Amino acid sequence: MMKSGMGCGGDQFPAGLRVLVVDDDVTCLRILDQMLQKCSYRVTVCSRASRALSLLRERKDGFDVVISDVYMPDMDGFKLLELVGLEMDLPVIMMSADGSTNAVMKGIKHGACDYLIKPVRMEELKNIWQHVVRKKWNENKELENSCSLEDSEQQRRVIDEAEYASSVNDGTDSTWRSQKKKRDAKEDDDGELDSEDPSASKKPRVVWSVELHQQFVNAVNQLGIDKAVPKKILELMNVPGLTRENVASHLQKFRLYLKRLSGVSHPSSFYSPLEPNSKVDSLGRLDFPMLNAAGQISPQTIAAFRAELIGRPSDSLLLPPVDQQVFLQSSEGPKFVPFEHRVPVGQPILKCQSNLSNQHLHSSSSLEDSSPSFPAWSSNHPDMSGCASSLEAVSSMRNGNIPVQMVQPFPMQPKSQHAINVQPSCLVTPSQSLHSFQAGSIHIPVNSNSTAPLSQTLANHHARKSSVCVTEGYNTDNSNMVLGYSHPLSQSNNGTTVMVQVSDEDIKGVGMSNAHSMSGAISSSISAASGHADCNNHWQVQNSLVNIGYSNKMPGFARNLHNHVFESKLGTLPEQGAGRNLGFIGKGTCIPSQSAGDDIESSTTDMRQTSACTFDNTEIVKQELGFDFLDDFTSGNSVLSHFPQNGFAGVLSK
Amino acid sequence: MLGLGACNLEVDMNRLIELLFHQQFMQLQHLQDESSPNFVYEVVTLYFRESEKLLRNLRALLWDRESTDYKKMGIHLNQMMGSSSSIGAKRVRNICAAFRSASEHGNWIGCIQSLEVLEHEYYYLKNKLHEFLQIEQQRVIAVGRTIHLSRQ
Repeated sequence: MMKSGMGCGGDQFPAGLRVLVVDDDVTCLRILDQMLQKCSYRVTVCSRASRALSLLRERKDGFDVVISDVYMPDMDGFKLLELVGLEMDLPVIMMSADGSTNAVMKGIKHGACDYLIKPVRMEELKNIWQHVVRKKWNENKELENSCSLEDSEQQRRVIDEAEYASSVNDGTDSTWRSQKKKRDAKEDDDGELDSEDPSASKKPRVVWSVELHQQFVNAVNQLGIDKAVPKKILELMNVPGLTRENVASHLQKFRLYLKRLSGVSHPSSFYSPLEPNSKVDSLGRLDFPMLNAAGQISPQTIAAFRAELIGRPSDSLLLPPVDQQVFLQSSEGPKFVPFEHRVPVGQPILKCQSNLSNQHLHSSSSLEDSSPSFPAWSSNHPDMSGCASSLEAVSSMRNGNIPVQMVQPFPMQPKSQHAINVQPSCLVTPSQSLHSFQAGSIHIPVNSNSTAPLSQTLANHHARKSSVCVTEGYNTDNSNMVLGYSHPLSQSNNGTTVMVQVSDEDIKGVGMSNAHSMSGAISSSISAASGHADCNNHWQVQNSLVNIGYSNKMPGFARNLHNHVFESKLGTLPEQGAGRNLGFIGKGTCIPSQSAGDDIESSTTDMRQTSACTFDNTEIVKQELGFDFLDDFTSGNSVLSHFPQNGFAGVLSK
Repeated sequence: MLGLGACNLEVDMNRLIELLFHQQFMQLQHLQDESSPNFVYEVVTLYFRESEKLLRNLRALLWDRESTDYKKMGIHLNQMMGSSSSIGAKRVRNICAAFRSASEHGNWIGCIQSLEVLEHEYYYLKNKLHEFLQIEQQRVIAVGRTIHLSRQ
């Protein structure tokens, strides 16, 4: 993206930043042009929003940052902002003479990364490069995760990545990136050139013009946002050439957008504007390569899964079919994305089932009988997402998980499976699905289920933004969610064993990729252990190496773990209230890392309160929880920062 | 003799600027460099053109009291505020702000009054700016000559 801009910039970095300025006021435009040129930026000016949009579409990756006026006759600046956010992932700076709080708030809600009040001063413009770097930096965090997921063949490479990640992490841990923008930006560039180029070259993407988008919005409105499914939208829109996939992915983005707008009143609202962008980005850039990769890797992954599952007599038969099926799905990942929200509606989903239905039904029914398989999958899931296993693996896992999950509470809905499919497209935040999974297991209304992942995503994003530790914490959190899930199932030995195996495997094989994966794997196994007392020992034996690493070097993780364990517990027993939860925390401390347990207490209290109070409204709970995590993790930073990130990798590779 | 003239002109000019403009105008002058020697002139010309267009539109909008589109008016005023503040015409900007709040309240009378004040202020500014630009031109010429002479 910044290949030519920042990449070439070299030492005089901000120079050459490609800025697109949109303002219908030619006087301002001229002044801004001159000012930006003085800043040694490469400026493109444009007095019409529609023209700006077509410029942006023509030259994807042609700009690093967009500065847009708010009031423009042909298109509202917010509209432009929205479209830019939906289609391409660029930092957009709004500007206006109107500096009222309302106007600024509106800009932020729509995802503006900054809001300049006219007259714009030179000093402000000199500093706009920070938004580019910030965005880059955040993206890269996600890229790291998703890259590692992208290809199981890359596992060899993963070690390098782990080093890379840890070096970045080191920098950010201590300084929170503000001081290191330059360096990080360069690193990010390098990192991105590998991963992004292939995807950037091919993108047979539908251009969502204003008209098309309007049609889309009309269709959605007609159906009702909760009931809008890509297929119906597609029918309503009746646009030749448009595929369900296109609609699906756009619908997801649109929902994120709506979510962001509506999220203002929630605690996490401040972070929300940042989130969708990265999401969009991930959609735009990561999907394709990953899907491609899917084709190459799937056989191996399948094989791997089978190998893992062989130990289990009952499930081994079931899971492979799920697996395969999932692969089918994963190759069409984005298609299913929009269903996320669909699930809540709880509508007759069978009709939309499409290709999956047969196999799915088959597998799900069989799965239903054997609940043990679920825990197994779920445990798998966090590991995979956290680690560098192939994308397909993850998506397939998700798919596999979801059908199962859905089947339980809603045996009638093979379609619910789609709900989770949303996640594959959001590969960036792979672990989300777990949350939804967990939610399902708790028998929370499906509705909340669907919203939960979203808010989680928010949290996740913020987490990424704020620090690396957060990301790790997030993974942990996911895996713990598994615990919550497995609990209600009253796990059979079978299931737990599988869990252990999986996590074990992951730790050895894939877990080395980086700290994140580590945390994911560990936490998952831990969750398994905590879920079942007898298995606990078993697990510890198997993963003794991990335990050591965990208890010695990862107080931060432990901490997170506790929190999440706590949370998941809460989820399973909402009516129990605080006392029960505390008890659970106590239990949690039994887990290898006792030291961290104490630290957590304070933060957990908050958590318990928020979640306990509002549990009936899962969405809010989720959001608040997410919020809490954020706090937690940031506060946890100090703890974690004592331990060089390399430590994690080292422990893992032992 | 000519050099002295340039100095005097500069003093005049600065006084004028202080009288009329925000610091922003100074920034405009600083932005003028070799790559765009006529930058200030260019911007000011653009500003005149746009502002007059806006003033015409505003007047047209206020023509009929019953069908006044206050929203559109607000957008025009916002633009006028933006450009005026961008060139440093703070008084014009402030009047625009008052005008806009009148339009937000649907205060037609207030709008009409504001428009008159605005037009008055704008034309005053325009005259002064013309004056300034002329002085500026003379100064450039004078400085050019001075340099030219001193080189010889």
